[in-house]
Amino acid sequence: MSERPLIPSIACALLFLSLAVTTLPRLVALVKNARTLLPLRYEARREKQMGPWYVSVETLRRELPPHEPVALIVGPHDVDSAVFASYYLYPIRTRLFVGRNDYRNASPDPTLPKTIVAVTADRAARTTYDALRDRDLRAGHRVVAAPALSEPRTTFILPMAASLDGPAPETFVIEATIANPSSAPAEVRVTFWPKGLVRTITIAPGATGKYYDFVHQLFGVLDRGWMLVDSSAPLRAAFYFANRGHGDATLLPNVTGPATGIVAAPIYRDTKLFVINPNATQVTAVVGGISFPFDPHAFVSWPVTKVPIVSGDVYAFVATRELNGRTDFLWPR
Amino acid sequence: MIGLLVTFVLFPLVGWSIGRRGIGEAFLFGAGLTGALLFLAGVAHVPLVIALALIVVWGVGSGVWELMHRPRTVQPTPHLAIPTIVMCIPLIALTFVAAITPLSDFDGRAFWVLKAKGIAHERAIDGPFFRGATLDPRNHYPILIPLDGAVILGVTHDFDDRQLRWLYLGFLAAFALLIRERIDRLVSPAAGSWCAALLVWIPQFAVEPEGGALSAYSDIALAAFAAGAFFELVEEVLPPRDRATSQPRDRTIRFGLWLAFLVLTKSEGLPFALVFLVIGAFVFRKRIVIPAITTVIAAMALFVWRARIPAGDEEDILRMLPTIFGKLHHLGDALAAFPVHMFLFPRWGLFWIAVVIAAVLAWRLDRRAARVAISVIVAMLAVYAGVYVATDWVVSDLIAVTADRLLMHVIAPALFLLALASSTVQRTKSM
Repeated sequence: MSERPLIPSIACALLFLSLAVTTLPRLVALVKNARTLLPLRYEARREKQMGPWYVSVETLRRELPPHEPVALIVGPHDVDSAVFASYYLYPIRTRLFVGRNDYRNASPDPTLPKTIVAVTADRAARTTYDALRDRDLRAGHRVVAAPALSEPRTTFILPMAASLDGPAPETFVIEATIANPSSAPAEVRVTFWPKGLVRTITIAPGATGKYYDFVHQLFGVLDRGWMLVDSSAPLRAAFYFANRGHGDATLLPNVTGPATGIVAAPIYRDTKLFVINPNATQVTAVVGGISFPFDPHAFVSWPVTKVPIVSGDVYAFVATRELNGRTDFLWPR
Repeated sequence: MIGLLVTFVLFPLVGWSIGRRGIGEAFLFGAGLTGALLFLAGVAHVPLVIALALIVVWGVGSGVWELMHRPRTVQPTPHLAIPTIVMCIPLIALTFVAAITPLSDFDGRAFWVLKAKGIAHERAIDGPFFRGATLDPRNHYPILIPLDGAVILGVTHDFDDRQLRWLYLGFLAAFALLIRERIDRLVSPAAGSWCAALLVWIPQFAVEPEGGALSAYSDIALAAFAAGAFFELVEEVLPPRDRATSQPRDRTIRFGLWLAFLVLTKSEGLPFALVFLVIGAFVFRKRIVIPAITTVIAAMALFVWRARIPAGDEEDILRMLPTIFGKLHHLGDALAAFPVHMFLFPRWGLFWIAVVIAAVLAWRLDRRAARVAISVIVAMLAVYAGVYVATDWVVSDLIAVTADRLLMHVIAPALFLLALASSTVQRTKSM
């Protein structure tokens, strides 16, 4: 028998032990885990491994149309979850958008997926742009912390009511604060024109209702127009046209009737004349020397390069944007 | 089950179609050839289904013919029982685990298997998947292994990653068999058997969730292809124990094929192939032309393919290289990266300490062979350290997630040094 050299054997044994001391327990753990998964069907094993997140993706895979691309919208910390969602959803095609702004900035793209899936580390769920926007706005802070409330009034017009997005970060909302100083509950009927959508809210005696996005919260739409507020009790209210993206806000007047004498002031870019017809009948107004008919409850705007002279039974104002992005309003006298 | 059959029948047969060899090497050659030929076909706009049909017909036909009619030029030595059993234990355990547990790693799902699904679904390597129609974060990654995966998914008509679990496990098993066979031939049967056993017990290879055999990373495949190239180099330098069993005739072609596989497997493969070509130029001398040609063909095909598709969010190392002088403050982290990770006990045990000692001993026995192994290790780690310096990622983060996987790539020369050193000790002892 040949003599086996001792040193390489000992060295090899030591080296092997140094590897096995880590590998063996982990191998045993892997085998044990595999044995616990063995009775389950394969998808159930994935569900057990990845939890409710995988269940939500599996549900989506069944529900989503197979040939329609999907936008995966995630927060900056959940990109990995979106990558895995994409993996499990394939061959459903996916496009990743980190944040809602990423998605809205791609809106000019004709191939932009219409179907939206919001992905977090906990779940993936089909949703809408409006819902994501509302979630973001709700989670943020209102621009105006201390609103300047009006004198008590039961009926008034809000000449501009909007819930709209421009290119990121432009996010236009109406921040509303409605206080009921009386001792009786106030039934507040709000009509959003020109669509004619109506909602009624109740403000308890002495209570104050606060809204971060009045139009969307009440009517569930992203749109613009004007509002008629009609309350059973006098209200002290403040409505701000706010740009959440820039953090600026302009107090809107609580209008009581037609007015057209717009105060001349400097105008900047994206200047528009807005004309609303608060009447239930068609009216004719003269804008810059030309007569125009306005349908009942109309809300019309067009670009202007200077403040025009307007007359008639309408309410007219001008909106212009300063170079810093802030929106200024030129109201009528 | 079909995925298992395709993996362990088709690839070895394709590997045997160009000559009788051990099953491990045949598997690696088959996987490399299948992926590389499909890639070239895709770049040339040959429909992948037709290319695959040709590969299957030719590969299976000539593979079976080779097996039945041509004897092995290298007769395998009887295997030592203990190291063989030691090698089989983790492989059997991993097979059990792979058969049951679903894939759960990061890169495998995020990049590699996703590409395999994309290729299998579109039957093209430059279809909508690679043109931005769906989320593919690392669009420019080489796709040899995803092409192999796509073959399995295509044949099984199932896009579920369960069909691919065997491919990645197969690479580890084939790699271990290659190590055993080559070190057996170059050093001794005992050294070969024990080196193969050590390989499959290294935590980073066996059980590490990111990069190990249960993941779908391409690092084990790259390490195996690098091993193939390395052993061709060493066999040229260090004649086999039995000269009659050496295979000098086709060595440069085989070396070239391994390098082409490296280029098409991972982005690191191209610098790796260049390092091999430089070292190979000293070893093969004029005969280096053939490997250089195969490498250039693979690299050109890769660049042509990349030029046709948009880039993902991967780093463009070539563009970053000129910025390296402005990032020399990364140098300290980059230089420390590998020593720090080499001595991470939970990933590597005493392996790299043993390799350092073995390198010193091996140098005394066979300076030329040891020099080749050390050159490959040092050159590749230097290249990787250079990438760490040039990177735009946070260096410490990048090192944390990649250093151990990059060390996997040079495992074959490291094991060879261990084998060589063990024979040094044996010789000293017997003197």
